[in-house]
Amino acid sequence: MTDEVLPNISATIHEQMGRKSDLFWRQVVSSRGWVQLAKWLGLLLIILTYIPLVWLALMSFSERPLSGLPYPLTLDNYVSLAGDKAWRLPLVESVILGLIVGLVCMMVATAVGRAVPRMHRPGGVLLLALTPLFVPALTMGAALFIFLREYLDLRLGMWSIFIGHIVWALPFALLLVLVVVTRFDIRLLEAAADLGASRWRRFWDIEFPILRPGIIGAGLFGFLLSFNELLRSIFVRGSETTMPIYNWTMAASHQSQVPIIFSLATVILAVTLPLMGGFFWLLFARLDRTS
Amino acid sequence: MSSVDVIAESRGVKGWYTNMMSAGWAVPAFVIVWLCIVIVPLLIMVYFSFLDMKNYQVYYEDPSFKTWWTMIDTGRWVAVVRTLRITATLTVIQLLIAFPFALWLAKGCQSKGVKASLITLLTIPFFLDASSRIIVWRPILGTNGIINTVLMDLGVITQPMEWMLFSEFAVHFGMLAPYFPTMVFPIFLVLTLIDDEYIQASSDLGASPGQTLLHVILPLALPGIVAGIVFTMVPLMAAFVEPGMLGGGFVNLLGDSIEAALRNLKYPTAAALSTLVMILLAVLLVLLVISSRRRGPLGEIFRTMKR
Repeated sequence: MTDEVLPNISATIHEQMGRKSDLFWRQVVSSRGWVQLAKWLGLLLIILTYIPLVWLALMSFSERPLSGLPYPLTLDNYVSLAGDKAWRLPLVESVILGLIVGLVCMMVATAVGRAVPRMHRPGGVLLLALTPLFVPALTMGAALFIFLREYLDLRLGMWSIFIGHIVWALPFALLLVLVVVTRFDIRLLEAAADLGASRWRRFWDIEFPILRPGIIGAGLFGFLLSFNELLRSIFVRGSETTMPIYNWTMAASHQSQVPIIFSLATVILAVTLPLMGGFFWLLFARLDRTS
Repeated sequence: MSSVDVIAESRGVKGWYTNMMSAGWAVPAFVIVWLCIVIVPLLIMVYFSFLDMKNYQVYYEDPSFKTWWTMIDTGRWVAVVRTLRITATLTVIQLLIAFPFALWLAKGCQSKGVKASLITLLTIPFFLDASSRIIVWRPILGTNGIINTVLMDLGVITQPMEWMLFSEFAVHFGMLAPYFPTMVFPIFLVLTLIDDEYIQASSDLGASPGQTLLHVILPLALPGIVAGIVFTMVPLMAAFVEPGMLGGGFVNLLGDSIEAALRNLKYPTAAALSTLVMILLAVLLVLLVISSRRRGPLGEIFRTMKR
């Protein structure tokens, strides 16, 4: 009885509401203004993301980077950057740490990523691996600090920063590898085994070339995420300083040192922006073509 | 039924063990390491929130709720409420801008070059150093910054607008763009997965664009919207660099309190505040999942997407 009545009622309601919203939306869409609004509001936020970068580069040539117009222009900030040595060690350490994190991400994400889909019930392991994505950076940093420094009484240093970075970067690396692994046809390996290929040859000659985009992506994400990681590093740094920590301390406390990070950030951006832009553009353009 | 199915069916410790070992040594090794560096630290942190400090030493005996009570007494809940309010405001603004934009990007944008460029532009900020691009808002928004200087020179205003920097406005403004991509991407991915034929069929059957949006696109996009909200809220809840640099000490959020507590060696307080962030996030997450369930089982949508 109710089964017959209820759908009728809901259908009538939908019809009634439909008619009203129909007229409304037809007016909305026919104006085309809403499509433009949707587009331009989004673009506005993208522009808002890049204004600081442009302004950063402009102000790095200004005599007083922290105030008003980028005038008078000068190269002083770059001269003092070249003379200053304090930023060199953090930069070198960040690059080395990023490379290590990228390499470890590549290897671990490959080893785990190709094994997880072959499990009977992969859900639990996957959820565990992705947990750090749901934990705010500060919370993870505080938890690692309390555990390593206070509870285990260990001396913090690069190794603890490394752990903080791995916890952040590995879930992304794993996701990238999983994307390619789930498309991989496991029968290819069985065929190779039937033809007498050894375990290593099966991996190196068949699996690795197919998984390569995901593995390289994992390494790249590992490097980039580590190179810019700040919030976890702040807590587990011990007495070490990475590039983002150096920028943060300079920007937050020592006003007189700010001009240096303007020119330093500009130099780093000038190197990394074109590389990242080119790489991601190629990646997304190719993804779009294959899909 | 093959032997593999039998193993998969078995439950309990033995079933768990066989499942762990079913794909070689990599998974169990990873699980052990991950438990040690992710789960155990988080649990120890929760444990610490019930401890006390005596003479700058953590006192492990008789855990209590003392730290939690003092948090209420010392008025730290003001920071909690402020954090929740700013997070909620920003998440709503992000969603309102991100959903239409993602819809346009996924379905409306015809040029593949433009699409790839925009996605690239949205990806890059994810890998940029935070401090240097936030500090630069100071010479833009400050009292002798570019906006005030230009407006005063043009005679539009006579006094510099002081509310633009070191205020809640500045904190909101500074966090708007950096967390936009995390909202757009999940929604965009889900929308691109929606088959164009569904939308076509909906309008062929006489539905208006509004009805199609409400009854076809929105329910299918729901997992992406939930993911977007979660991934925007998680960093916002513990934001720390932006409020510090743009709030100028006037806008204290939970993140600042955690950092200050750790700096002052008040470990139980820092632990309790961090635990609170996790609890608040978990509650919001559960509410989100429950409210989205009402519009149709989430699992069902994921299954249709997997096709």
